[in-house]
Amino acid sequence: MTSWLQLGEAGVGLGGIHAWAMATAAVIAASCGLVGTLLVVRRMSLVGDAISHAVLPGIAVAVLAGGRPGGPLVFLGAVAAAMLTVWLTQGLRAAGGLAEDAGAGVVFTTLFAIGVVLVGLAPPGTHLDAACVLYGELAFLPFDTISIAGYAVPRSFVAGTTVLAGLVAAVVATWKLQVFTAFDPAGARAAGLPVVGVTAGLLAATAVATVASFDAVGAVLVVAMLVAPAAAAELLTRRLHRMVMVAMALGAVAACVGYLAAWRLHTSAAGMIAVVLGLEYAAAAAIAPDDGLAARVIARVRLAWRVAREDRLATVWRAEESGNRSGARPHTPHEAMVARWLELTGHLLRDGSSWRLSPAGRREAENVVRSHRLWEAWLGRHADLPLDHLHPPAEWVEHHLGAEMRERLEADMDERAADPHGREIPPEA
Amino acid sequence: MTPTGPLVELHDVTVAYGRRPVVWNVDLVIDEPCLFGIIGPNGAGKSTLLKAALGLVPLVGGEVRFFGEPLGRVRSRVGYVPQRETVDWDFPVNVMDVVLMGTYGRLGWFRRPGDRERRLARECLDRVGLADVAGRQIGRLSGGQQQRVFLARALAQQADIYFLDEPMAGVDVRSQERIFHVLDDLKAAGSLVVVVHHDLRTAAEWFDRVALVDRRVVAAGRTGETLTPENLQRTYAGHVDVLDDLAQAIAARGRTP
Repeated sequence: MTSWLQLGEAGVGLGGIHAWAMATAAVIAASCGLVGTLLVVRRMSLVGDAISHAVLPGIAVAVLAGGRPGGPLVFLGAVAAAMLTVWLTQGLRAAGGLAEDAGAGVVFTTLFAIGVVLVGLAPPGTHLDAACVLYGELAFLPFDTISIAGYAVPRSFVAGTTVLAGLVAAVVATWKLQVFTAFDPAGARAAGLPVVGVTAGLLAATAVATVASFDAVGAVLVVAMLVAPAAAAELLTRRLHRMVMVAMALGAVAACVGYLAAWRLHTSAAGMIAVVLGLEYAAAAAIAPDDGLAARVIARVRLAWRVAREDRLATVWRAEESGNRSGARPHTPHEAMVARWLELTGHLLRDGSSWRLSPAGRREAENVVRSHRLWEAWLGRHADLPLDHLHPPAEWVEHHLGAEMRERLEADMDERAADPHGREIPPEA
Repeated sequence: MTPTGPLVELHDVTVAYGRRPVVWNVDLVIDEPCLFGIIGPNGAGKSTLLKAALGLVPLVGGEVRFFGEPLGRVRSRVGYVPQRETVDWDFPVNVMDVVLMGTYGRLGWFRRPGDRERRLARECLDRVGLADVAGRQIGRLSGGQQQRVFLARALAQQADIYFLDEPMAGVDVRSQERIFHVLDDLKAAGSLVVVVHHDLRTAAEWFDRVALVDRRVVAAGRTGETLTPENLQRTYAGHVDVLDDLAQAIAARGRTP
């Protein structure tokens, strides 16, 4: 693991070093967010996991054959290993009937293990070391620079940016194909589109994004960068192009925040980035607009409040209908609170120790009672239920019937406007 | 391009999953535009036959021709509506995105849909009665609406032959009516519409021709002459143990008892 103290002793301009490390982590995370989103919507996250491990022997062989980490030969080796993984997994399923997840589990762990063995066999000084491959060395990356137009730019930033630009260009060019094949592969094939090619391209892209990330975060935590931002983005938006952009942004932000936090706490940058990604997902799950935690709690509270209001109004209406004014009195503190709120909003009027309806309150109450009695009438007609079983379902349904549906229910009734208990159904207010 | 052969011709088509045959020796010729139903019990291989005709599952024997040509040369003229449950309806696209997919085959690999395609997609949505939900996420639609979105996508392809796989499965009565009327309009406009279907009552009402299928074609022809009690008996009352046992033996590279 990186020693932050050691870094400080290196005596280099620390600000610049940190900026380069963060920039590198951000472009890498953006690449992973891009391909990760396409994997997640295809329900292929497991394939991302498999490929991120299985590329190791490809990299090891490429390095042993003289390739430089981050060089073209290494990317080629990784893509080949990724293809081999998928091909072997499908082969195992076809030949041995092994389920796809078990097959992938066998293939990628075996390949990964071969990679670990190969790395161990590598002679010293070949730029290949097991700890680096597993966990990455983000903080040291800025020291390995190449010269671009006279400026010393970290080699892995150049590689990461090149990969990101290439992936973005490829995805933009094939966007239409990506969406159709991911959504409906059979339909896309029937339309004559190159489904197999698009899928193979996505696997290759996954291998490339993974390899670009190895120096920085290692093989283990790159899975977090592939899957977590995409999963969070899926909660936040419902269109694929927005999902891709949100995932890329979440990845980049987590890279910077995670790096800074790791620096403050003197701990692993890669680990901290993955932790921040996890926190981003948790935050997305909490605030997701449709079925996020907060949205669900708010919806539940609003319904409970609406039910309490409508029940109070209907109770007062029934008390007035039967002439028993004392029935309008609240019985619990909660009911009393609701009644006072309804007084404030002009729906109820205080009447000595009890309450009566204002014109606005009467309109709303009549529609609730109308919903209730129409539902009892409809159930009585269309379901085989005894008379005393009609009230409970109507108590529940009355809060969910709208004006249009009430009209439909009424049209379905006999001539007489009465519920099965013989009580009058009030007209639409 | 003028048709040089029958609209659809299946000649001695046999389809297998792995080594196990599921549809045997199908001969079928459809030579004029009509509403054509493929009818049969569950697991009869109806959908498999449809997919085989479209080249989505490999044939182990026989050949398929459209307008007398192999599918590869006339692909854009053949539209396909897959079974609704084969796709993930939580997928992050909206209704318009899905309908536009119908134009992708014609646009080629890289050209993007433009104004013309959007206008066409909107017309197709209008024809299936969904013009007002174009911007909605597809998971928020009812089953019947989802099926109509798929139909609109096929319409956007402006094909001459349409294959629909169980378009009425899990679909409310109102949507069924709507879908059948759209299919009828396609026929009236000179298209051939082939539908995998399971409900005999609506089959008799809507289809001009039918093929009764249970692992093989039991009977095919005009609906009135084909949906006879004897043919239905032969389709629905089994008689496929022979084929099943044989398929088992073939798959195991062995011999039947």
